[in-house]
Parts: sequence; C-alpha cells; structure tokens
Amino acid sequence: MNQAKVEKLVSRLRYNVGPKPRKLKNVDGSEGRLRKIKKTLTAVIKYERIELNYARADETRGYVERLISEALRHGPEHVETMELANFWINEKQLVHKLFKVLVPRYQNYTTSFTKLHNAPCIYPGYAYKRAILELRGNIYPTVEQSNPHQHNLLHNILLDAARKEYRMEKYKEIAANMNF
Amino acid sequence: MTMVSRLWCQKTWQNLALAKVLGKEPKTFSTLVQLKTDEAIDDNDSQAQTNDELIKSPSLGNYRLVYPEFLPDPNPLFRNGIREKLERMDMLNRRSVLSIPEFYVGSILAVTYSDPHAVGKINKFVGICILREGCGLRSSFLLRNVVNGEGVEVHYDLYDPAIQKIDCLRLEKRLDDELLYLRDAPLEYSTFPFDMEIEAKISESIPVNDIKIPLNPLPWSQRWERYNLKGVKEIVVNERRQKKAAALAKPWEKYDLMKTYRETIPEEEQNEIFSDVYTKLNELEIQKNILKRKYMLQRQKSSKTRTL
Repeated sequence: MNQAKVEKLVSRLRYNVGPKPRKLKNVDGSEGRLRKIKKTLTAVIKYERIELNYARADETRGYVERLISEALRHGPEHVETMELANFWINEKQLVHKLFKVLVPRYQNYTTSFTKLHNAPCIYPGYAYKRAILELRGNIYPTVEQSNPHQHNLLHNILLDAARKEYRMEKYKEIAANMNF
Repeated sequence: MTMVSRLWCQKTWQNLALAKVLGKEPKTFSTLVQLKTDEAIDDNDSQAQTNDELIKSPSLGNYRLVYPEFLPDPNPLFRNGIREKLERMDMLNRRSVLSIPEFYVGSILAVTYSDPHAVGKINKFVGICILREGCGLRSSFLLRNVVNGEGVEVHYDLYDPAIQKIDCLRLEKRLDDELLYLRDAPLEYSTFPFDMEIEAKISESIPVNDIKIPLNPLPWSQRWERYNLKGVKEIVVNERRQKKAAALAKPWEKYDLMKTYRETIPEEEQNEIFSDVYTKLNELEIQKNILKRKYMLQRQKSSKTRTL
C-alpha cells in the first residue's frame, strides 16, 4: 500500500486511465518513450485529428488531456505550466495555440478533451490495431457516421406508422367509392 | 474478538446506513475504482448542502497535507470503495479515542506504547519521524533516536490499538520527504533527549527546518548520491560513482504528466473523501486544541510557582 503524493494537486481526467503506463518500444528507455509521445502530442495539437497505432494513441491521449487540464488550471502566467508546455510541445508556435485557442475552447467542457476511435486495419498491412485520436470541437466532419435510414430508429418507426395509417385510409376510401 | 466485532457492528449501523449502500450497489465490491456520491449517507438535504459548501471552501485545502493517510492508494488495482469507507470510519473511531497530533517527516514525536515485557507495562520512545508510509488503517511511521550510542529505529502503525499516547514534541518539516539518510549521518543529528517537553509554539504555518546534514564517510546503506537530496551538505564520492549517478539521473521524470497523475489522487476525489470526514475531524481538532491550551496554561503556572 502506497501513500498518495499530495504536494501537487491535479484535476481528474474524464476518461478511463489505465493502471500502468505502456512501454513504447525504443532503445532509450523512459526518455525515448517521452520523446515518442512528445512527437505525437505535438502532431495532435497541430492537426487536431491523426491516425496512428492504438497503443501509442491511447498512451498519448493521457498526456494531451493532462497538458490541457494543467493549462486550464494554472494559465500561461504559471511558470511550471509554461515549462511543461515548453517541454512537451516541439513546435513552439503551438504553445500559443494551447493557451489562446484550446484553453478557451475547453473552458466549460464536462467531457474529456480528446476522443479515441478504433480505426480499421488496411489489408494487407501490419497486425497492429489502429486508432484515430482527435481533439474535441475540431472543424472536421465527425468520424462516426450514423446511418439515418436504420429501420429501428424512432423517427423511422413513426414515419412507417404514419405511412401505414395513410394507406389504410386510402384503401377505405377506395372501397367506399367502388360501385358494382 | 467477539466483543470487537459486536462493537464494530453497532458503530457501523449507528453511524452510517451502510446496509442501503450494500443493497443498492452490489458492484461496489469489484476491484475497480468507484467514484460515486452516496445518497444513503446524505440522508437529509441540509447535510448535503453543507457538504457542497465544504467542497468549495478552502479550509479543506491543507487536509491532504495534515491527514495524508485518509487518501486511498493511488493504484486503481488496489482500490475498493467500500473497504476505503469502512477504514475511514475505523480511523475516525480510533482518533476519537486517541488524539493523534498533526506531524510531518522531520517532526519529533513521543509514543507511549503498551509493552507486556516492560517495567510498568508501558514503553515510551522519543524520536524524529524519518518516514511516513502506507494509507488507511495500515499507515505507519518510523521514529529514530540514539540509545546508548546506538541508532535505534522503531516502526509504529499509526492506528495500532497498543499505542496509548502520541505527542508531537516539535512540529516542523525538513527539506526532504524521507530522512532515511540519517542512518548514514553522524549520530548527533538523530539524538534527542528522552525527557524532551512539548515546545510551546502555536504558529499558523509549519516551520521548515532547512538544516543541511553531512554524511559519514563510506560505506553507506544506500547510494545517496543518486537520490537528489536537499537536506544533505555535499556528497563526496569517487569519479566512477559520480558518472554512474549522472547516467542514472532522470531529469525528465518531473515532466512525466501521467506519472504524477498515477501517483496522486485527483482534487475532485480528495474533496469527496475529506467532505465525508470533515465534520468529525473538525470536532476532534477543536477538542485537541482545547486540551493543548489547557496543558500549556498548566505548564506556565507550574513554572511560575517553581520560580517563586
């Protein structure tokens, strides 16, 4: 049983955080792991939606969420937060984007700031699971495309019933107007 | 044993209508993290309201520093909401019987412990707290002192029923989270007189003792040059060990955002936990302060009579 460290206060992340960090494969150990995550994190903040291998996407997601929540919590005047942003974001113009675009965007969010979708493996390809990692509230069309013509959706059921009723009325009318 | 269980049962049923919780949410027995507000416990609206106010109030701010053992283990694999709640209740019950003072690593404590083999069946140990670890009922601390020229460390469980009294003789912090390097420091730095009295000082903030301690020459119990210690003067080791320490240093670890997240409990959850135990803890704190003031007054009077 460990005691929780209490010096730093953090906000709760709004997605299911795994109990253990993944060891992303590289020769430099934990330093190399952070370097890989830095690259992906910079790309996510830059492009707002990227497709990559699932493990790396899921691992990066936590860091993106934490960086945004720290920026929300302390703002750009806080020295340690600025240091964090400087460490994590490789392209420095994106530090401005973090504090001036993303922080106002996520001010009143009650959900997570990022979204992770499962993506298909393209045949023939590698066996690694693919994923799409995106920032919420981006300008692109949604990844999930729901089919509005499914028969069991409520509006379709109501329309079907209305059509049936109309048809029955028509039949009755035709039957009444028939002359033998 | 039966006595204990009966007592426990009584208190359980009296304090919290846990039966409702058990009936309502059988899934709370799973090992997953459970983050829910218990409706069964907030029976009336007024209490719920006060709880909301407490969450917002800044007085809960330093509770995490004063009562770190009330926070559960940050590892989600070891979490269990019901067990944590029961442990918190037991801790409060123990605290209502034994006054456990506020203390930190670096504070000097006196613990009176019932020992069947000691003269008078009571044993008192005074020492500096060099380690605080564990959470819940298993939280413990390590005291160090020098007895007959020999360093002695005693490991106490904070909620051990055999502890009769805990006094904080000097309330202060040191620069490091653990003072295990005192084992390799000259004995004078961990020597404290057994007849020390409680220091009369009531200040708002906890003083930080920024003493820098020199270490003994090698060999040491651990490779202290690798630990980035703030409370140690200068560490002298040979070049090979310096190189090794430099190679093993992890300066990027402080930027590892998820590592810090996985080692702590998020603020929202902390507020939930402390607003649960706030009323009881506050009551106990007031009682403790009254007792402390009484003790100080008595001591002042006795010292005056002595001088006369």
